[in-house]
Amino acid sequence: MTKEEIAQILNSRFSEKLKPAESVSHLSAFFVEKENLIEICKFTKQSDQLKMDFVNCIFATDRNDSLEMTYVLFSLEKNHKLCLKVKLPRKDSQIDSVTPIWEAANWFEKETAELFGIRFSGHPDPGPLLLPEDWNEGYPMLRDWTGKDFVKLPPK
Amino acid sequence: MGPQHPSTHGVLRLMLTMDGEVVLNAIPHVGYLHRSLEKIAENRTFVQYIPYTDRLDYVSAMFGNYAFVYPIEKLANIPVPERAEYIRVIMMELNRIASHLIWLGTFSLDLGAVTPFLYCFREREKVLDLFEMVCGQRMTFNYMRVGGVSKDLPDQFIPAAKKFVEYFKPRVDEYEDILTHNPIFLGRTKDIGLLDKEVAIEHSVSGPSLRGCGINWDLRKNEPYSIYDRFDFEIPLGKTSDVWDRYSVRVQEMRQSIRIVEQALQQIPQGETKTKIPAVFKPPAGEIYARIEAPRGEMGFYIITDGTTKPYRVKIRTGSFCNLTILPKLCKGWKIADLVAILASLDVVLPEVDR
Repeated sequence: MTKEEIAQILNSRFSEKLKPAESVSHLSAFFVEKENLIEICKFTKQSDQLKMDFVNCIFATDRNDSLEMTYVLFSLEKNHKLCLKVKLPRKDSQIDSVTPIWEAANWFEKETAELFGIRFSGHPDPGPLLLPEDWNEGYPMLRDWTGKDFVKLPPK
Repeated sequence: MGPQHPSTHGVLRLMLTMDGEVVLNAIPHVGYLHRSLEKIAENRTFVQYIPYTDRLDYVSAMFGNYAFVYPIEKLANIPVPERAEYIRVIMMELNRIASHLIWLGTFSLDLGAVTPFLYCFREREKVLDLFEMVCGQRMTFNYMRVGGVSKDLPDQFIPAAKKFVEYFKPRVDEYEDILTHNPIFLGRTKDIGLLDKEVAIEHSVSGPSLRGCGINWDLRKNEPYSIYDRFDFEIPLGKTSDVWDRYSVRVQEMRQSIRIVEQALQQIPQGETKTKIPAVFKPPAGEIYARIEAPRGEMGFYIITDGTTKPYRVKIRTGSFCNLTILPKLCKGWKIADLVAILASLDVVLPEVDR
């Protein structure tokens, strides 16, 4: 299914809850609110036309004034992709976990939680994945993070 | 089963719950090889980051290189010359063979067969000689660039590669003679570690582990990139999704890879090897996700650019990251020796998982 057809199916069902994300190329991409995320994700998985059963990646980006969660989903059967984005506040942000929908999201969300400081409610196994258990130096992937070993490159 | 263990294929720690010799649960603890490659990407220019992509999965470094330059070329609409595409395909398929040889050697070593280990490494030396001829490096190549490859092939490469193709084809039959129908091997691998199709898709497994379940999904055929649609090759599939099937899929893939290399060597044209791009390269601002079929699964890069010389955010999605999550489900109820065979058949390399 093409980008436009996916957009049409989603818009016909959720039109007021979606905003197209123009900066993403080659993919159908939408901004959603965090309250509607689970409902939309469940629909993309169970819908016969979309059938998104494969997680390509789930990650967060630090956009200086906010955090942005990105979910790139894929359908093995229909061979089409979808991208959903959620804007979150930078500090103490919390979002529902999509692990009950796609088991593959488990480790992606663990990694995002420990590197960005987002709390995923409903995640079956919160805890560190890549960082050591006794890590207490903050959330490394935030752009203004400095830890005790962080060395800034000298300006050219 | 601690991080320093010869059979965990890297620094992987498994917390095993055992009942005597039987494994009840196996929880992987990773992060021993975390090098924060995604954070480093925010401070390097695109060309400076390519050596880091080698080290993602150092056993198949060409794929890391290609998976990084491919989205950028797609985003910035940079055309790649024909000769460069052929060189890239030859390098990638030779690297797939080298990677599967390492896998085959260590897999049989884990099961106790020491002979195939040295045979596979002997073959791999020949492939590494070819790579050294081209880019001076045996394992971490830094060879691909945005718009092509960094250097042209030397004159002696194509005859040497053709000689290797003829040398290697009967070798795969030799390995199959030793292992595939060996009763001890069958006893250790048949009907062990069965992976249901639904569980595999639920965990977003990709690569030969997914094809071992019988699901016909290979990005080279289903979402063709580069010039793979010009070559004639098959996608081997498994039937019963046990350890033996995953082994058999990878051995057949080596055969198909050498077919692709042979066809590419015949068809390769003369020409340029790199499109000229400005020295201070600034791709247009935007986001893109593109993926390729690496030997361990789907390797994809989601790159966010903001119009400067450095990427804003690079997210690396590797096959081993998702493949490792099915280990607890696969090894319930099997013994430790079977756990070693199952872990080896998933072909997980930890640098890919930890980045």
